[in-house]
Amino acid sequence: MRQSNGYILTFTAIMTIAVGGILAAANQLLMPAQKKSIELDTKTQILKAVMTINPGDDVLKLYDQRISSLVVDIKGEEVTSNAKGEKLEAEAVDVAKEYKKEYKERLFPVFRFMDENDPTKVDAYIVPVYGAGLWDKIWGFVAINNDLKTITGVSFAHKGETPGLGARISEADIQSRYVGKSMYDENDRFVSIVMKKGEIGGGGEGSIAAFSSDTNHVDGMSGATLTANGVNSMLKKYLDYYQKYFNKVK
Amino acid sequence: MDLISLGIRSIFIENMIFAYFLGMCSFLAVSKKVSTAIGLGAAVIFVLTITAPLDWLIQEYILKEGALTWISPEFSELNLEFLQFIMFIAVIAALVQLVEMVIEKFSPSLYGTLGIFLPLIAVNCAILGSSLFMVQRDYNLAEATVFGFSSGIGWMMAIVALAAIREKLKYSNVPDGLKGLGLTMLITGLMGIAFKSFIGLAI
Amino acid sequence: MSTETLVQEKKEVKTEAWFSKRRKRFITDPLNEDNPITVQVLGICSALAITIKMEPTLIMSIAVVFVVVFSNLIISLIRNLIPNRVRIIVQLAVIATLVTLVSELLKAYNYEMYKVLGAFVGLIITNCIVMGRLEAFAMGNKPYDSMLDGLGSGLGYAWIILTVAFFRELFGSGSVFGFEVFKAIGIENMPNNSLMVDSIGAFMVLGIIIWIQRSKTGYVEH
Repeated sequence: MRQSNGYILTFTAIMTIAVGGILAAANQLLMPAQKKSIELDTKTQILKAVMTINPGDDVLKLYDQRISSLVVDIKGEEVTSNAKGEKLEAEAVDVAKEYKKEYKERLFPVFRFMDENDPTKVDAYIVPVYGAGLWDKIWGFVAINNDLKTITGVSFAHKGETPGLGARISEADIQSRYVGKSMYDENDRFVSIVMKKGEIGGGGEGSIAAFSSDTNHVDGMSGATLTANGVNSMLKKYLDYYQKYFNKVK
Repeated sequence: MDLISLGIRSIFIENMIFAYFLGMCSFLAVSKKVSTAIGLGAAVIFVLTITAPLDWLIQEYILKEGALTWISPEFSELNLEFLQFIMFIAVIAALVQLVEMVIEKFSPSLYGTLGIFLPLIAVNCAILGSSLFMVQRDYNLAEATVFGFSSGIGWMMAIVALAAIREKLKYSNVPDGLKGLGLTMLITGLMGIAFKSFIGLAI
Repeated sequence: MSTETLVQEKKEVKTEAWFSKRRKRFITDPLNEDNPITVQVLGICSALAITIKMEPTLIMSIAVVFVVVFSNLIISLIRNLIPNRVRIIVQLAVIATLVTLVSELLKAYNYEMYKVLGAFVGLIITNCIVMGRLEAFAMGNKPYDSMLDGLGSGLGYAWIILTVAFFRELFGSGSVFGFEVFKAIGIENMPNNSLMVDSIGAFMVLGIIIWIQRSKTGYVEH
C-alpha cells in the first residue's frame, strides 16, 4: 500500500501543503521583526559615518532627531516621487538596485546630519557609495562637512573581501584615515580621495601621521591593493555623481 | 570578456573546494581512485551547468520580490524568497533523479560509470552552494550558466588532482593516526596554497 | 508525594529510563569514538568556511544542533508513513523547512550574524551529518531515541568546529570571541598568522586535530 502511486501522490501533496503553510506562517510572523532589523542596520551604518555608535544606543531615535533626508538625481535636482507617483523616501532607495541602472538614471539619496541645537543647520552631508572590490561588492557611506569639501568620516562594508587583508576596509583603523581629507586639490578641482599602494605608516596612528600633510591621499593596506583600487574608484565615481548637488547647496 | 574572467575566477581562484569548502564530503570520500574521481567530477559539472541557470530562472520569475508580475501586476508586492531553500533543493533533487533516468534509458554504458554517483550529487554542497552564491551575487542568466559550469570544472580539477596524489600515497609510510582523513586534510591545505597563487589573476 | 514517586518508579521499571546506559551512549559516542567529522568524515562542507571567528561558529553550531535534533524527531515520527521511493526528497524537504526557519529567525533577531553567515546557513541542508543521521537512524528508531542521537551528533560536530575556530581566531586575529587575548596578557606585538584566516588554515588545523584524536583513540583508517 505504501508503495502505490496514489499513496505517494497524496503523501507528497499533504507534505507540500504542510511545509508551505509552516513556512508562509513563519514568514508572516517574523516579517515585522525582520523589517525592523534591516532598518536598524541601515540607519546604524548611515550614522556610523559621522559618529561612533555604542551598543545600547537608541539608533532609531537618534536617527529621527538628527537626520533629514532627500533624494536627488544626477543633475542635483531633488526628486520627490517615483515613476508611479508615490512619495519617494531616501531610506527606501536601494543603492544596489540603482547601481545596475545607467548612472544618468540613478537616484541618489542624501542624508543630512543636522546640528544638535539648531535643527535647520546642516552639520554634514552623508552620501552612499557602492562599487566592486576584489571579490565582491563593497559599499558604504561618506560624510562630508558642511564646507562640502572635507570628509568628516566614512563607513565601509564588504561582502567577501579577503579576511585580514581587503576586509580591513570595514575596520575603524582604515576608516579613520579618511577623516579630515578633502575631495578637492589646492586649485579646487575635484580629485576625490585616493588610497595609495602599500602601507608606509604601518597602520594605526602611524598611517594617519604619514599622510597628515597630503589632503587628497590616505595610506594603503598592505597586501590589498586590488581592494583599495575598488574603494578608490567607488569613491571617485560616487562623489562625482553628487558634484552638481554639492555645487547647488554651496 | 567579463564572462571569461568570471569563468577563470570560479575555476582557479574561488575554487569551490579550496576557497569555500563546498562539496567536501564526496571530495574526501570518492578521491581514492582517479577513474572514479573523473566520473564523479563529470557528473558534478553536468548537474551544475543545468541547475545554476534553472535555479536562476526560478529565483527571477517566481521567488524574487515582485517576480510574479508576469502573471499579473497585482503580485508586485509578493516576495516568496522564504521558499528559496526548499525550491532550490527540490529542483536539484528532481533534476538528479531525472538525469539518472534519462541516462539509464539512453546510454546504459554511461549509466554504468556515472550512475552510482548521481544520488550522491543531490547532497553535494557545491551544487546548492553555487545556486545560493549566484543569487547573492546578482548574476544574470549568462553569468549564472558560466559560473555553474566553471565551478564544476574547478571542482573536478580539485578532486582528480587529489585522487592522483592519494593513489601515490598508498605506498608511503604514514603515521597511523594520520592515515586517511588527517593526511588528506593536510594535502588539501597544501593544494589550497598552490591555488592561492592565482589571486589577482584577471583577463 | 510518596505515591507519586512510587508511580514514577513503577513506570521506569516497565519502560526504559530516560537516561539509561544505552541512551547515554547515543550522546557520548559521537563526541569522541564515533565523531561525525573526524571519524565518519561527514559534514565538513558547510562548516569550515565560517570558522574564522568563534561567534559565527557558535551560531552555526546551535543552528546545526537544532536542525539535526528536530529533523530526526520529525522523520522518526512519520517514519512509518514515508513511501520508500520518495524518502530522500521527503527528508530534504523536512531539513530545508527547518533550515529556512533558522534563517528567518536569524534575519529577524540577529541581523549581524545573518549577514556574516550569508549563504552558509542554507548549506546546512546539504550538511551530510543531518542527512546521514536521518537515513541511518531516524528512519528506523523511536522519536525520543532519535532526538538523543541527533543531539549527540550535533554536539560532536559542534565541539570540533568550535575547536577549529578557537585556534583560527586565536592565531589569525589574536582574539577569542573578539576579546584580544594577547594584548590582555601583555604581549603587544603578537603577529597575526594570515594563513589561519584563510581556508588553508582550517584544513591544517582540522588535519592536526584528527591526527591527535585518532592517535588517542587508536582508530586507523585502511
